[in-house]
Amino acid sequence: MKLLTKTTLYIATLSLFLFFIMGIVFFQFLKNMSLSELDRELTGIKEVVDEIFPHFLGGQLYGLPGVDSISIQPAWPGIEPGDRFGDTLMFDTKSNQFRTFRYLQFQSEHGGDLYVVKLFKSTMPADKLVERVTLMMTMMVILFLAGIFFLNKFIFANLWKDFFDALEKLKQFDTVKEPVKLGEPDIEEFMDLKKVLERMTFRLSSDYKELREYTDHTTHELQTPLAVIRTKTELLMQSKNLGLNEMQLIQSINSSADHLSRLNNTLALITRIENRQFTGRKEINLGNLLDDHLEKLHELVVIRGIQVDRIYTEKDLTFIMDQGLADVLITNLLKNAIVHNVDGGGILIEIDTDRFVICNEGAPLSFNEHELFKRFSRDIRKTGNFGLGLSLVKKICDYYGFKISYEYQQQQHRFTVVLP
Amino acid sequence: MQILIVEDEASLMESMVSYLEMEGFRCEQAADYHTAIGSMDKHDYICLLIDLNLPDGEGLDLVKIARQNHDRSGIIIISARNTIEQRVRGLEVGADDYLVKPFHLSELVARVHSVARRTRMQGEEILTFGMIRVMPEARTCFVDDGKVDLTRKEHDLLLYLMANRNRVVTKESIADYLWGEYGGGYGSYDFVYTHMKNLRRKLVDAGCPDYIKNMYGVGYKFSQE
Repeated sequence: MKLLTKTTLYIATLSLFLFFIMGIVFFQFLKNMSLSELDRELTGIKEVVDEIFPHFLGGQLYGLPGVDSISIQPAWPGIEPGDRFGDTLMFDTKSNQFRTFRYLQFQSEHGGDLYVVKLFKSTMPADKLVERVTLMMTMMVILFLAGIFFLNKFIFANLWKDFFDALEKLKQFDTVKEPVKLGEPDIEEFMDLKKVLERMTFRLSSDYKELREYTDHTTHELQTPLAVIRTKTELLMQSKNLGLNEMQLIQSINSSADHLSRLNNTLALITRIENRQFTGRKEINLGNLLDDHLEKLHELVVIRGIQVDRIYTEKDLTFIMDQGLADVLITNLLKNAIVHNVDGGGILIEIDTDRFVICNEGAPLSFNEHELFKRFSRDIRKTGNFGLGLSLVKKICDYYGFKISYEYQQQQHRFTVVLP
Repeated sequence: MQILIVEDEASLMESMVSYLEMEGFRCEQAADYHTAIGSMDKHDYICLLIDLNLPDGEGLDLVKIARQNHDRSGIIIISARNTIEQRVRGLEVGADDYLVKPFHLSELVARVHSVARRTRMQGEEILTFGMIRVMPEARTCFVDDGKVDLTRKEHDLLLYLMANRNRVVTKESIADYLWGEYGGGYGSYDFVYTHMKNLRRKLVDAGCPDYIKNMYGVGYKFSQE
């Protein structure tokens, strides 16, 4: 949820809750006020009634100003003495419907007889007032909420602007690129944030750069001594008076140096991919690329008696990438399919509208499937490889957003690469 | 048969010189760009071996200068930089071959031979070794007067062995020479073995003595001994 939405939601919930409570209290208060006002008025009229009571009895008076209706009855036995207020529903002939009335009942003595007098007053005007006030209150609440909403929006668009700018720049930050440069915020906290972010990204960038240079230099500098070891052992091997034993020793040094320099080369390549140092962009036809590399690997395929089948459903599937990396990707996948095949086995290559599949026969993996694309995971039964080929393939796929997956079924290793 | 080697790494230079001199080449050494320019002015070489990274200049410029002066020497770039673009660029400015460091000396020798052959170009050259005669350009091979049918790789392998005659060559160097970037790693040594077996069989079947000595755990040696 966005910061703005969440803040607005909190404020809205709290204010609705407060307004609701306040509304109830206020409503009750108003209602009570209006009722006690009615009761006060009725009490005032009661005094007048006492004075003019004989006129009522004589039938000269039917109503009184200030009350809507009046009733006089002779007192009945058992009636409680004293004044009583109450509410009642009565049919109102003016509006032709039942309405609530407030009444005051009291007893009055005249000429030795006791009478019960009831004064009625409609509560409608008071109710109307309460209604109006409530309506106005509600309107105010809505206006208030709308105000809060727009205020929040304004705050986010203005006060938080620097924050969101910084966020946007951080999103685009890449260790390979320059450190983030932010604007000059006039809010202290954002100023601090800016300083921290700039320092951090600067640190990240420079660390990364250093690491990259370090790896670059190391791999480069290692090559020369390795080359020296290799050439010197090769020279040594040509000495006239060496026995086979000594030669084998020299050869194993030579071979190890050879191994080491291949390893070094591959690691350097992986590092360069991780550092995004490949920027070449070329439209590459996958079918042609696969055919080219199969052609180059033809002999290896023939020697092992491997049958290669190609099903190119989509003949013109292309993607845009660095030519060198495309070669590395395809070479490694194909080499993998040949090396881990069985003699006389088969390789199936399929190209579909958005993917290509390289499938080869072979024994199941001797290690966990999840380790397949990791560095240095390899089949321990075979010596001489580093287990870097597929890790390289994965790195290249990640670099270009290709999805590579592996499955093993019916004695077939199946690598699927889905293009984005 | 003079070669100019431009390389700033003394130890590597020394190895290359020793190995090439064993092959009968005469080697001139230049440790930097300016020495190289001077040497190129004074002499003609059948082959220039040029390192790209020089302390006082770019090896690539040496290649350009040589080609601008219509120098017909074979040029082999030796470099630690191994990307397609750099290879392409090296070949575009006029180099004949591109060898990535670290390389096998035996591979260097084979390539020097091959480049030198191409630059001399005095008709079809015939290489002989014992009973074997090879015409590299026509890709044909004779034992006595009988033609031996070799595959492309077997032919390359034979040339490689002949270039490194009487020397021990390792199977790694053969794999690298035959398959380049596709060589190396496990598996390809089996292929070396297979090719070697086939080549040996074809030669012996044609009536040639077995010149290919298998040196167990080391490699092979092509000799008449």
